[in-house]
Amino acid sequence: MKKIFLLLVVVFSLSGCEKDDICDASTSTTPRLVIQFYESAAPTPVLKSVTALGVIVPGYTTMSFNGSKILIPLQINDDTTIFRFIQNGADSDLTNDNEDILNFNYTRKKVYISRACGYKVLFNLTNTNTNILTPDSDNWIKNIIIVKPNLEIENEVHVQIYF
Amino acid sequence: MFKYIFSLWFVLATFLGHAQAQQSKDTITAVKKDSIKPKTERYGLRLGIDLFKLTRSFSEKNYKGIELSGDFKFTRKHYLAGEIGNENKTVQDDHLNFTTKGTYIKAGFDYNTYENWFGMHNMIYVGLRYGVSTFSQTLNSYTVYNPYPYFGQSPVTVDGTKYDGLSAQWIEVVAGVKAELFNNLYVGFSVRMNNIISNKVPDNFDSLYIPGFNRTYGGKFGAGFNYTISYFVPLFKTILKPKEKKKD
Repeated sequence: MKKIFLLLVVVFSLSGCEKDDICDASTSTTPRLVIQFYESAAPTPVLKSVTALGVIVPGYTTMSFNGSKILIPLQINDDTTIFRFIQNGADSDLTNDNEDILNFNYTRKKVYISRACGYKVLFNLTNTNTNILTPDSDNWIKNIIIVKPNLEIENEVHVQIYF
Repeated sequence: MFKYIFSLWFVLATFLGHAQAQQSKDTITAVKKDSIKPKTERYGLRLGIDLFKLTRSFSEKNYKGIELSGDFKFTRKHYLAGEIGNENKTVQDDHLNFTTKGTYIKAGFDYNTYENWFGMHNMIYVGLRYGVSTFSQTLNSYTVYNPYPYFGQSPVTVDGTKYDGLSAQWIEVVAGVKAELFNNLYVGFSVRMNNIISNKVPDNFDSLYIPGFNRTYGGKFGAGFNYTISYFVPLFKTILKPKEKKKD
């Protein structure tokens, strides 16, 4: 009888433990917008790198990018995210800055992942190729092409920018 | 909900009663006359309640649950056994808060490996159950998983979507003990390993907790235990068959 009670106590004490789940880093969660940059002057698409590209959403910090591919987050609580793409905006020289305003519109869908990760948001861009860029007197961006309006994963390109 | 539990109890009791009748007929025909006073075996229904679920209902704000159990001896070693219960549990995970409500029934048998003295019904047993649960799950709130918090951490979104008509079926392997404390009053506990057979999960969500089955782990596996106090209700006695001598 003593043994039984001892066993009962053990079982009781174990019951309080529940495995703490942690969302695995390799899980596909809310995707960022993947943009690839191309040379606008080339007759066939040629990758072109940006240097010290500053990307900013008013009210938030400046993201700095180098290279031909960038990943930027979209707002999950709004159907629109307005970015300022500032050429040379991430360097200390303010005289060479050129700011273009890009307006991304999209619909959002919440999708269940798992107990540990909860939900993710998938986006579907509703822009046309021509209404993303706000025209100004001196656009450094020449052309924008949406290649994949459904944002589901990050290892594919969603938007091409030619400059 | 209690109404359902009780009515299901009566259904269970009816099944058990049927089994009794069968049993008594078999044993009576085997009675032999003997000068020694025959030994009798008591048969009856042992009814119990899960104390863990009961105490947890009082001690935990996010849990309400009850489980009634019953067993009936139908051979020297075998017992028909079952549990019936109702649970209402709210779980707060890192990114989710949900409430599961539902009823379950488990039916099967226990095999007693313990050699009792006459008239006793102590058990060290293994058993099998088939479990069925119908339940609903409400997504109270969630946060969107956001590994790149440029816009700050995701706020908690209140949702409140109720996913009705969910169900699950599973097989349970049971191991446990039951020991007599006083006259006809037993305490016991059992541990259970569960394996899902079928599971109707909600769209764009998952059955994260199944009443009777407990927490799900993504796969088919689950585990549980109970801690029962039960009362043996003697129903009738039968005279034990003397062991038949083997003929050469």
